[in-house]
Amino acid sequence: MKLLLILLLNGIAMSQAFAGEGDYAVSKIPAPLLVNANAVKRYEDIRFEVSDLEKARYFRKVAYTILNEKGDKFAQCLQHYDKLQTVESIEGRVYDETGKKIKSLRNADISDLSGTEGGSLADDNRIKFHNFYHKAYPYTVEYEVELKFNYTMFYPGWIPLEDENLSMESGKISVILPEGINFRYKAFNYPQEPVVTSQKSSKIYTWELKNLAAVEYESASPYWYEITPVICMGPVEFAVEGYKGNMASWQDFGKFVYALKAGKDQLPENIKKTVHELTDEVADPRRKVDILYNFLQANSRYISVQLGIGGWQPFDAKYVATNRYGDCKALTNYMYSLLKEAGIKSYYTLVKAGQGKTFFISSFPSSQFTHAILSVPMQKDTIWLECTSQTLPAGYLSGFTSDRYALMVDEEGGTLVKTPRYGMNDNLQIRKIKAEINPEGQLTTDVVTVYKARQQDELHSLIKGYSKEKVSEHLKDEIDLPNYDVVSFHYKEDPSPLPSITEDLKITSNNYAQVTGKRLFVCPNLLSKNHSKLSSDSTRKYDIDLTYAYTDIDTVEIKIPAGYIPEAIPKNININGSFGNYVSSVVVSNDRIMYYRSMERFAGRFSAKKYDELVNFNNQIYRADNSKLVFVKKE
Amino acid sequence: MRQNFLLLIQLLFLLPLNNAFSQEKTPVKFGKITPLDFDLTKQPFDTSANAVVIADIGVSSFEGNSKGWFTLVHKRQKRIKILNRNGFDAANAEIMLYSKGSEEERLENLKATTYNLEGDKVIETKLDNSGVFKEKISKNHLLKKFTLPAVKEGSIIEYSYTLTSDFLFNLQPWSFQGEYPCLWSEYEVDMPQFFNYTFIAQGYIPFYINKASSSFANYRVQVPGGTSSNENYSINANVTRKRWVMKDVPALKEENFTSTIGNHVAKIEFQLSQYLFPNSPVKDIMGNWFTATEEMLKLEEFGQPLEKENNWLNDDLREILSNTKSSLDKAKKIFSFIRDNFTCTDHSDVYLNNSLKTIFKNKNGSVADLNLLLIAMLRHENIQAVPLLLSTRDHGFASELYPLIGRFNYVVAMATIDTVNYYLDASRPLGFGKLAADCYNGVARIISNHPFPIYLEADSVKEQKITSVIIVNNDKGQLDGAYQSALGPLESFALRSQIKSKGEDAYFKKLKAASSLDMDIVTEGIDSLKRFDDPLQIHYDFTIKGADEDIVYFNPMMGEGYKDNLFKAAERKYPVEMPYTFDETFILNMETPKNYVIDELPKSARVEFNGGEGLFEYLVGKNGSTGFQIRSRIVMKKANFLPEDYNSLRDFFGYIVKKHGEQIVFKKKS
Repeated sequence: MKLLLILLLNGIAMSQAFAGEGDYAVSKIPAPLLVNANAVKRYEDIRFEVSDLEKARYFRKVAYTILNEKGDKFAQCLQHYDKLQTVESIEGRVYDETGKKIKSLRNADISDLSGTEGGSLADDNRIKFHNFYHKAYPYTVEYEVELKFNYTMFYPGWIPLEDENLSMESGKISVILPEGINFRYKAFNYPQEPVVTSQKSSKIYTWELKNLAAVEYESASPYWYEITPVICMGPVEFAVEGYKGNMASWQDFGKFVYALKAGKDQLPENIKKTVHELTDEVADPRRKVDILYNFLQANSRYISVQLGIGGWQPFDAKYVATNRYGDCKALTNYMYSLLKEAGIKSYYTLVKAGQGKTFFISSFPSSQFTHAILSVPMQKDTIWLECTSQTLPAGYLSGFTSDRYALMVDEEGGTLVKTPRYGMNDNLQIRKIKAEINPEGQLTTDVVTVYKARQQDELHSLIKGYSKEKVSEHLKDEIDLPNYDVVSFHYKEDPSPLPSITEDLKITSNNYAQVTGKRLFVCPNLLSKNHSKLSSDSTRKYDIDLTYAYTDIDTVEIKIPAGYIPEAIPKNININGSFGNYVSSVVVSNDRIMYYRSMERFAGRFSAKKYDELVNFNNQIYRADNSKLVFVKKE
Repeated sequence: MRQNFLLLIQLLFLLPLNNAFSQEKTPVKFGKITPLDFDLTKQPFDTSANAVVIADIGVSSFEGNSKGWFTLVHKRQKRIKILNRNGFDAANAEIMLYSKGSEEERLENLKATTYNLEGDKVIETKLDNSGVFKEKISKNHLLKKFTLPAVKEGSIIEYSYTLTSDFLFNLQPWSFQGEYPCLWSEYEVDMPQFFNYTFIAQGYIPFYINKASSSFANYRVQVPGGTSSNENYSINANVTRKRWVMKDVPALKEENFTSTIGNHVAKIEFQLSQYLFPNSPVKDIMGNWFTATEEMLKLEEFGQPLEKENNWLNDDLREILSNTKSSLDKAKKIFSFIRDNFTCTDHSDVYLNNSLKTIFKNKNGSVADLNLLLIAMLRHENIQAVPLLLSTRDHGFASELYPLIGRFNYVVAMATIDTVNYYLDASRPLGFGKLAADCYNGVARIISNHPFPIYLEADSVKEQKITSVIIVNNDKGQLDGAYQSALGPLESFALRSQIKSKGEDAYFKKLKAASSLDMDIVTEGIDSLKRFDDPLQIHYDFTIKGADEDIVYFNPMMGEGYKDNLFKAAERKYPVEMPYTFDETFILNMETPKNYVIDELPKSARVEFNGGEGLFEYLVGKNGSTGFQIRSRIVMKKANFLPEDYNSLRDFFGYIVKKHGEQIVFKKKS
């Protein structure tokens, strides 16, 4: 301990020597680091010193030069803490353009805030926050933070460029391990192995980088670790609140997860009885799963209570049975217990949840998950259950957890699997419209739309999560038509592992068609317009990574007032490209417009060179979707 | 209108209704639930609700305490039926507790039970103590949270608790209206004669019962003796019991263009105004605006530092002002010094959080810190300046009648230079003498020996915008154009904030993407981005690529028109409160493209709304032999409208959307 202290003092003495008068002068920043940068990380030093499996210390000293207002977000110190990870000290200084110190942080200026988010009933998340709120650009802030870890489940990672438009002058991270403790690491975009040195019986691993230029934002770009350096670290053996685990492989980590929930599957007698009453007479295991999932949905709700180890350990099945609530872990474990009672084996499964792409490194076993779901293998396939939802059909995962890696856990440990992916032929929006336009330009229309799989996710949340009145309000506010009213609406659900919703809307829209002196303008694409144009980017650097594939088909028939003849009809369009297929066609016969539109969007990884094709594809569709028919009155 | 309404309610309080219902008992017996109680089919409430509050009952009274003073005791009982899973949130409860020094608020006797009807039996599940959590929000605020166990669709939940408070100013307010419909909302306050509170009520729902009765009570107060023995006092007093009930209250509904829903909810609040102890003179607590401002001026966190010489500013001010002579120029320099060098960390605050010196050194602070420092610096230069307290729109209206400081959340400076008054807010990137739109929220108050009200009405804010586009033929067979738009101060302020966070490039990128024309934008720019005193001017030149169509359709509003109605919802319950009045003009001067003739032009039109309160002009005219002009002007002379005006307001904007969508048709010369 004494040695550590000396080491620490040395460290501070050294770092102070670094930040001497003028060291942070803006004039010393190499010119290439100013390109596209709102801020420059001048210096970063992270040290993680492990004492034993339950104790470690984390030091970080970092200095950012803030070049303009958009860089201000790097100028603050925001440190999360909780029972397992406490803040020992925070120091800070701010320097002017020449590198002259203006002032230091006073402890009284650090605020202590609750870190509990809205959806949580109880947790121990807290935040220490400080900001100099300096305004004279450019300026430099420097912070030193020391944390005490009471567990070793997480090792710090290092992302030298934390964000776009940030460059880095120099930075390093080192891990200091006592004899007998091993760790693991994986580096991306880092050219060599870490430097390993010894100090008495400790080993020090160091990664160091200099002069990283800023990255400019590009939409639909690949994962950050594919673009810039990222160093991941994690334990082999670790301990948290008396529980020991091993993370060397997904299988090992799964064993730890399983151990946390072991013995928590005991159901109260009345629930056991209910399970048998509900399922004993049912032969088909798939039916049994359905019945018990419905039972769960009718008898539980999501309430998050996560204190200490509760962040990883589920409450037991009895707790959920009594309270009829739990967080994702507790509800998943409860469902697992219900199925077990009915003689069906299922797997507690961890996943990183979130719409769209989530940052997950499958090649580095570690605790990267944020959510628990249940997988139930059947003879031919697997039923996936989202246990926090009271409304999703059994077997459907929605965009929140579909198409990604997940860790299935049982007594043998963990297995990394993929959750189902919903593709272009699953995510459908099939729309049929019959409409009529009166001589004043008012549109009266009947719209029947079938939404399937991910295309129905949002609608599902709307009609299941809100009262009819709210749905009506939403419809009257959100549809992209001028001056319209929703006269009636109706929804029919088809709950299945590939759920669909049929929507029937009756809408009137005043002035939908523009009637001028002798002309009538009608846009035949009523409700499926592409609204955004893309700008071409000749300097596109990174691959295009698109994850959402879908199909939209619109068939529209519009009756127009008598006495008009067509003057201009949009050309038919047919595009078959790398990013999808698009067809639009318009036919006018007598007083009827027949419009057909089909859009198939592909997902996948495309080379950066194809970006212009994507822009072209998008903008052609934009133009086609918004084009109008023009009619003139017969003389 | 609003003031009249408040007055009306106050009259109702003065004249208790002695109607036939006034003896009616609370219709619910807490803790006793029978299967019949689950049947609400006979109750009149919106059946699309997710939960319904069957009864919400509060009683506030006073008790003598052992700290030599009185404690407020607030008992609350609530019964809710959860109608469907979307009403589960009604089973979550939060209670905020305040403490300061040795004085505190405590939550006691919390009981919560869920009742489920299973078969013909009512099953009870009680909340376990371990299910009550606390979250420290700040030094003085602790949040207690719990959720009821065993809740499912159809459950009835009940909870009750006692909140005791050492803070007599914190006599619990009561909202009769909330997120869910409420069948019976009742509040009772037992007020001993020696405390006088002012009642402030608002909303549009009439009381079902509003009644006062008298009784007699004895209060025991123990004064701690320190080293000697405690002294006990016994005070007899008349007690006035006030009872207010609202029945069948609909749920609160949020609508667009409302300053804040808080201004419309049915609620009652209290303000401690007097002590009237026997054998002592009446002690005025709330006082009037004169006594209240006098107190504010003495406060170390408000007025007192402003009265000082503040000589520590000498050197800095000499440097800031260098050779500035006139008071107005000095004021402008001081104002921009704070605005440009300080960061506002909290836009809702009326008291100083630090000494003026520390604020000056730290260069950051709340809106109160910054603007009070501004006043001190102005006064240092012998410029007359006083604090002006106001309440921003999202914070609700302040009271004109009563000196309720808690109803204010914002301070600006009012400087008087050569008999002209300037409102100064250095906490935001605003011009000298300009306030942001959210400050225009009715009555504000000068804090000085002459505490006059100042009326900052949205109806008095005029926002003017002029956009002009010129399009001519160039020699390459294309059209060249020049766009210029001069924004009003409020839109300038909003756009400056947007550009500050996202950048100028992003603004023009979005503009290019939004344009439906095939055109190249060049030499774009925004003038006066950093000159906060001037409105922003946006300008760019463009070239429209030539098209070889026989017929060309062209929308003359160039993307500047109204594409959607501001008022989409089909009906309206609350007044429409727009942030300001406005006058927007768009002018297009255009040459007919070479080789084309105009086949059809939109027709001119002029529409008035509500006898001239709104005006829309759309004028089309020939401009020489080869060109034409389109001029659109929208004037709204008022910002506030009654719900009755809503439909015509909606139609008015509907017409604008229609006209702005109209096209010009060019035909190729044959």
